Amino acid sequence: MSERTDELFGKLKQGVIDFDEDGVIEAANAVVDEGIDAVEAVFNGLVPGMEHVGELYEQQEYFVPELLMCADAMYAGLEILRPHMTRKSLGVTGVVVMGVVQGDVHDIGKNIVKMMFDVAGFEVHDLGRDVPLEVFVEEQLRTDAELVCLSAMMTTTMVGMKDIIKQIKEKNPNARVMIGGAPVTEDIADKFGADGFAEDASNALKDAINMLTTLKKIKDEADSA
Amino acid sequence: MAFTPKERVLKQLAGEEIDRVPCYSGMGNVTVAGLEQLGYKFAMVHGDAEMMANLAATSYKLYGYECAVVPFDFCVEAEALGCVMNAYENVAHLLYPTIKEKAIEDEEMLDKFPIPDDLANAGRVPVVVEAIKRLKGEFGDEVPIGTYFLGPFTLGGQVYDLDKMLKYAFKKQDLISAMLDRLADVLIRVAKIYQDAGADYITVREMGSGTDLLSPRLWKALIKPHLVKIFEALKEMGIPNNLHICGETNMIIKDMNECGADSMSVELKNDVAKSREDIGTEPLIFGNLDAYKLLVVDPAEAVEGAVINALDQGVDAIWPGCDIWPEAKPENVKALVQATEKHGAAKWFRKK
Repeated sequence: MSERTDELFGKLKQGVIDFDEDGVIEAANAVVDEGIDAVEAVFNGLVPGMEHVGELYEQQEYFVPELLMCADAMYAGLEILRPHMTRKSLGVTGVVVMGVVQGDVHDIGKNIVKMMFDVAGFEVHDLGRDVPLEVFVEEQLRTDAELVCLSAMMTTTMVGMKDIIKQIKEKNPNARVMIGGAPVTEDIADKFGADGFAEDASNALKDAINMLTTLKKIKDEADSA
Repeated sequence: MAFTPKERVLKQLAGEEIDRVPCYSGMGNVTVAGLEQLGYKFAMVHGDAEMMANLAATSYKLYGYECAVVPFDFCVEAEALGCVMNAYENVAHLLYPTIKEKAIEDEEMLDKFPIPDDLANAGRVPVVVEAIKRLKGEFGDEVPIGTYFLGPFTLGGQVYDLDKMLKYAFKKQDLISAMLDRLADVLIRVAKIYQDAGADYITVREMGSGTDLLSPRLWKALIKPHLVKIFEALKEMGIPNNLHICGETNMIIKDMNECGADSMSVELKNDVAKSREDIGTEPLIFGNLDAYKLLVVDPAEAVEGAVINALDQGVDAIWPGCDIWPEAKPENVKALVQATEKHGAAKWFRKK
């Protein structure tokens, strides 16, 4: 990698960490103008930036407002780079349906997970928040999504997830369901029949990054083989 | 001398000596058992003063839970300011109402949104007022009548986009602070309306401001000043009060204590023993039982140990850390009251 490429990837990373949208936009435009690989820029610039943000959140250096601003900076870069990601970024394709279940209007955690799916190049069908249970089931059937992600911040709404999971699995046993949100625990995920869970935005971010890193590794190994 | 629940609760909030810790709450505590007894649907009770009062009375009648609290949702003040609520009347399972239309869309309005002159008749404020009066008439000599509203920041997230609130809390702190100051003024007026209706105590629920969301620095700079203003006003009015915050609060407990409330309430995520180390034994701390798992999922036998544990940590009243989830098992709520009666003197650090 050239010094210039390194410099720009570093700027993307630091821009995300400092929630410096303008800095990220400038670096992303330079990547495009100078013909540098956009996929590399995302995975060696923006993603490591978010990864560091996740660490700062865990160390209680950053809190939710900071996380949201970093996400804005990341999206600002992604929007510029995405049209130039000519190859399937990770060599995987996937369709995801996601949303916050009815009765809950808190979508911060869901949006952070969505961001990582966007980065990975998945086709994301975001149903938004306060989504009636049957809409998840219908949307899964309509899109034939491999993965459905359900989010709830309140215990009161978490209870509704159980029915959604059951209905989705009945209609399409191959679909995988991930659940997340403050009240969700591994125990509850098991009881509800979910395939995976993340308990809060920080864990969701970490899990999503782990997922991306693993996919990237598989892709890199396949490329070099 | 035997205390009535009202004497026990109010004397404690006034700093007087009582016989044992009370078992009550400043937040929602109605159960499905109460709804079924009355033949009500949860979605129907939020706009009807008679139903609201009848339902609020059930937890004392069924379990001896030492209070009656109205309302049951988090939309009353937001509606009074022009938000539109969704009560989920057509959904089969029980849901808490949410805001479906925000009162403030335009950032320009954050520090100058309109406030109704006649707050006492805005939205469902008159419904809550009427419910308080009915409860007062029914057993106001015996049971303390509680009410609550959201703190300014949490209310801000109801009347305006929460995502933007959180970002502006950082980027445009002065603007958000001006908004919170305006909301604090509204809440002080609402408190006076509830006090005049006969409410015995008020809980200020600044739920969405714990350190799961905001940094302690931001809490101190942005949240605290407006709570100080509110509790100064409540003190001047002479209405007993509580400051409640959900989630993680150990990092801000000192600042919470400096807000000047008569008492504080915290949830399970607060290590109360650690809080006592930080702020000493004088402040009243209520809490910190699990409002969902302990009362809905766990067997009733688990409740006594949890009560003892909370008392050992140093709480002054047995409060669930949030609204009791209505599907709480009646035997668990009964066990909560009974364990408090049994251990509320012997295991209370002030009596030991």
